[in-house]
Amino acid sequence: MSRAARARGDVGPARRYSPGTFALQLVMTAVAAVFALPVLVVLNYSFKTKKELYLSSPFALPEAPSWDNYANAIQRLSMGTTFLNTVFYTVVSVAIIAVLSGAAAWAIARNKGKFFKFSYVYFIVGILIPYQALFLSIYIIGYSLRLTNTAYGVILMYIATGMSFGVFIMTSFMGTVPVELEEAARIDGCSVYRTFRSVVMPLLKPAFATLIIMQAFQVWNDYLMASLFVSSAKLKTLTVAMQALFSQQATDYSTAMGAIVMAVLPIAALFAALQKYFIKGMTVGAVKG
Amino acid sequence: MHCSPYERRTRAQYASLVLPGMLIFTVGIIAPMILSLRYSFTAWNGFSRDIPWVGLDSYRRIFSDPYVGDAWWFTVRFAVWNTVIQNAFALLFAVALDGGLKGNRIYRTVLFAPCLISSIVVGFIWLRMYSNVLPAVAGYLGLAINPRLFGSPSTVLAGFLIANNWQWIGYWMLIYLAALQSVPTELYEAAKVDGASAVRRFFRITIPMLAPAFTICIVGISVGSLKVYDLLVSSTGGGPGRASTSIIYLIYNTAISGRQYGYGSALSMTLIAALLLLAMVQLAALRKREIQL
Repeated sequence: MSRAARARGDVGPARRYSPGTFALQLVMTAVAAVFALPVLVVLNYSFKTKKELYLSSPFALPEAPSWDNYANAIQRLSMGTTFLNTVFYTVVSVAIIAVLSGAAAWAIARNKGKFFKFSYVYFIVGILIPYQALFLSIYIIGYSLRLTNTAYGVILMYIATGMSFGVFIMTSFMGTVPVELEEAARIDGCSVYRTFRSVVMPLLKPAFATLIIMQAFQVWNDYLMASLFVSSAKLKTLTVAMQALFSQQATDYSTAMGAIVMAVLPIAALFAALQKYFIKGMTVGAVKG
Repeated sequence: MHCSPYERRTRAQYASLVLPGMLIFTVGIIAPMILSLRYSFTAWNGFSRDIPWVGLDSYRRIFSDPYVGDAWWFTVRFAVWNTVIQNAFALLFAVALDGGLKGNRIYRTVLFAPCLISSIVVGFIWLRMYSNVLPAVAGYLGLAINPRLFGSPSTVLAGFLIANNWQWIGYWMLIYLAALQSVPTELYEAAKVDGASAVRRFFRITIPMLAPAFTICIVGISVGSLKVYDLLVSSTGGGPGRASTSIIYLIYNTAISGRQYGYGSALSMTLIAALLLLAMVQLAALRKREIQL
């Protein structure tokens, strides 16, 4: 049985569909139903009217499905601003993390000097320290550098928090770049920079895809950094706006449900498009070979 | 050093590729760490010009502060239970989906999907589940249970364990699944020929071959659980009372709302020390196992 065939999930150790397999199928179907329940409830609620939310059962389908909650959410959360802000912060910070950590990882992989060895350890230590443990001082540094309440400030901090993981992932992919190609480019007179841009970067496409999906999902869903760094309405992110809506005295639940669906959709679409890279990134170090 | 000017220039160019990332990382992560250490020795309130040096006073205070003890107790129980439950179920589901079930991809997607949702939203969804949806379910089934888990200090931890496991089991499951699928089939076949039972094959082949996945999942879940904050903000706000105040939540309350920046920094330092210590102990123990195999 080939490894590729198994990885696709076509064949497993138990190939016959026995009564035991059927029992397992029933158990897993029940498990999946329990896992899907909250998502289905949110979807169902998002099409109900406010009155139905309080009076009808959570499982009754909406009497007359309407998009009102979605329209209200767009308005209440100023999604014209908050949605675009979130897209902007995510795209810019993830793109810069990809280029900077790709460049750093490549330089580290191709050089044996003390500086490069030190750099690797320096970056990797950060993996074990979540920024949430440092948020007080991150804010103070941001404040003293006049970065708070600016778009580039919050982007800069997202880059800082993503560098460790970025260097880790990119280094693990460096084996996929053949050194011979780089050497040929260098002999042809390419500078280090040109070699990176024209030879290495194109070969790292799968690595970039992996890093992009894994970091995009972090930045998109982040709350603490955005809530610390950005207070003006025109710089707010979607997550911060949603938390503001959730925490109101009389939370508008039906609007909140529409907002949740719209906040999850973009990252779910990105995941669907880059699924195979996401799994690759998750399993770096967990799977031998 | 016998370096030609050309080699030296090349090396400088390589180094210049590392520096921009390093600079940003230093400003955003390393400098804050040094700053936290420095402020932890002060009683700064976070905004005045006056920064009184108090030496180790904050650290001494940590040991006698019942709020700190309670926050650590909540956070540690959350982390330990998560590590146990999430690993067990992730592995169990991965083994189940590694068999010959029909529609494997659907199960995988359904179990994995919740981890794409922001923790802020997950907290809110479970708040609604416990207060609106599950009471209705209990009513249908005629069960005399109270599903309002966030309402009482004695059940709030269980409520968050359910929410957090719902969110993350599928993520770790995919890691175990990938690791299971990378075990060479020849090993199982050889063991079968030798007459090893299915249980024996699982414990003698599967579990040892999963060692690197265990390392990643155990460290990942425990470090991830110790930093819990977002999930609490949108659901209980650390309550009822202080029953679900995690260590990061306490740091936030102490430093931002309570204006005790110096003391909050000392709390941050204890969290960082705990995270590094935990990761080092776990990595040393788990990697040693990996090598023995």
